[in-house]
Amino acid sequence: MKIEFWGQEFQVNMFIGCIGGFLIAVMSSMFGFGGGPFMVPLMTVALRLPMYLVVGSSLLAIFFNTSISTMRHYQFGNFDLIFFLAMFPAALLGGYIGPQIAKRVSPLVVKRVACAGLVILALNLLGLY
Amino acid sequence: MNKRMTILPWLIAAMVLVFGAQSVVAAEADAQAAGGAALTLAIDKTEINNGGTIKVSGQAVAGKPVYLEVYAADHTVRANRFDADPDKDTGKRPYIFYITEQMPAYYKIFVPKELQPKIDEEAKKKGKWSYSELLKNLGADAAYTVPAKAKVDRYQSTLMASVVGSRGDLLPQLDEKDNKRRSMQLVKARFRSINNVFAAAVDVKPDGSYTADIKIRDGLAPGKYKIVAVVDKQVKSEAVTFENKISFPSMYMENAGTSMNLLYPFLLTLVVAIFGVLMGAGGGFILNPLLVTLFPALPHTIVAGTVTPTVLFSQGSGIYNYSKIKFINWKLGCGIGTAMLVGGFIGPKLTEMITLAQFKFAFGWILLVLAALMLWQTTPGYLAKNKKEQAILKEFKKRAEEAAKGKN
Repeated sequence: MKIEFWGQEFQVNMFIGCIGGFLIAVMSSMFGFGGGPFMVPLMTVALRLPMYLVVGSSLLAIFFNTSISTMRHYQFGNFDLIFFLAMFPAALLGGYIGPQIAKRVSPLVVKRVACAGLVILALNLLGLY
Repeated sequence: MNKRMTILPWLIAAMVLVFGAQSVVAAEADAQAAGGAALTLAIDKTEINNGGTIKVSGQAVAGKPVYLEVYAADHTVRANRFDADPDKDTGKRPYIFYITEQMPAYYKIFVPKELQPKIDEEAKKKGKWSYSELLKNLGADAAYTVPAKAKVDRYQSTLMASVVGSRGDLLPQLDEKDNKRRSMQLVKARFRSINNVFAAAVDVKPDGSYTADIKIRDGLAPGKYKIVAVVDKQVKSEAVTFENKISFPSMYMENAGTSMNLLYPFLLTLVVAIFGVLMGAGGGFILNPLLVTLFPALPHTIVAGTVTPTVLFSQGSGIYNYSKIKFINWKLGCGIGTAMLVGGFIGPKLTEMITLAQFKFAFGWILLVLAALMLWQTTPGYLAKNKKEQAILKEFKKRAEEAAKGKN
């Protein structure tokens, strides 16, 4: 499929894109996260698209996934209103505070900390730690 | 016609009389059985605050064990289980999905203190302990009544049904015996650990008097709880009621079936959301495993189902901001989005089919992959490439912003 973005034309292999997107969607909706950290590498590495095209479009693709899985989770009774009301304001507040701190810390450090944190968390979930 | 109309009320009256008399007789028989054996039950207080200890005492039959069945009377929760274990005789996997909405939010049987070794023995099996076997070994069968009455629905799952994201076909209603058997499995699926459903706490004296300290843990459903003392099928005490009070900032979560101090998830989400922004990704994949590990009382289905809408709004506002400066390729986003729509339709169905252990296992591996991805993003080769990309990204964004401004 050919797409045009800011005066440039890109050739996108929609087959790989859709298969990858589908798998990421099943996984992320099953475990209840957005899927962004997987979607961006898929689009940049597997589809060879430049970053500036990916940032917005991957968000749009994920939005489809999140909205339908929200509906489905609600339908299966997996949604708890009071729990949601406890977390939602915090998420909004975090989204407001975050960018103000972001200017002062190096994203590289954040990523390395996140990396270590994820490994610890993963080992904990796997029951090894 | 007229005659029939006059007969009908009489007929109904007669039926009421007959059935009414029958139930009165039955009630009297029950009372006699209980009264004859003189099974009494008294508690020291009728109110606890988000958990606590209740001292129970009473008089039962000399030389016989006493069991206490304790359950939440005001709130029920959902329990479900996907049966994919091969059948012992045929080796076939049934793939049947069992679900009930009527499981009490709290259910526990307190058994005589001497039976502790039997509980310990079953606990050695770790995750593979069986509720029904332990119930039988403890001789507590007669005390198991409330969940047995919960209506269990079952669905025949097929691969095709899972693909289209449906639970499958609803199978005919279970008979009473099967319903009881399946409800035991659901008790385990819901409360998971042995200590949540059994405790050896009843001290029975040789003369038949008994005492017990009933510990009610925190984070449970508020409202009325009932205690029934049971010796066997015929000899049961009247139900005694006490109340569990929950006060703000702790609140009861109806679907999750637990009470929780709401400050904890608030603070946790705040920290994770800030961290997520710094990292340039939504925090859902950190928040989920953290919630599941830190608050074991929360079912994983509720965690997944409630975190998802939380990130929905930040995504929405992100899309809005990008679309204002025309920084989204709609064709690409919608194209891949359609595939994700199908995936997102199926995923939530799978969440309720897996157990918490499977959820943790899979999530652990996902996080390891994610950690590897992140590590790769901090390698020098990637950074060099990324720097160029980021520069181009900024350049284009600036152009886009200017174009958007120019138009206005």
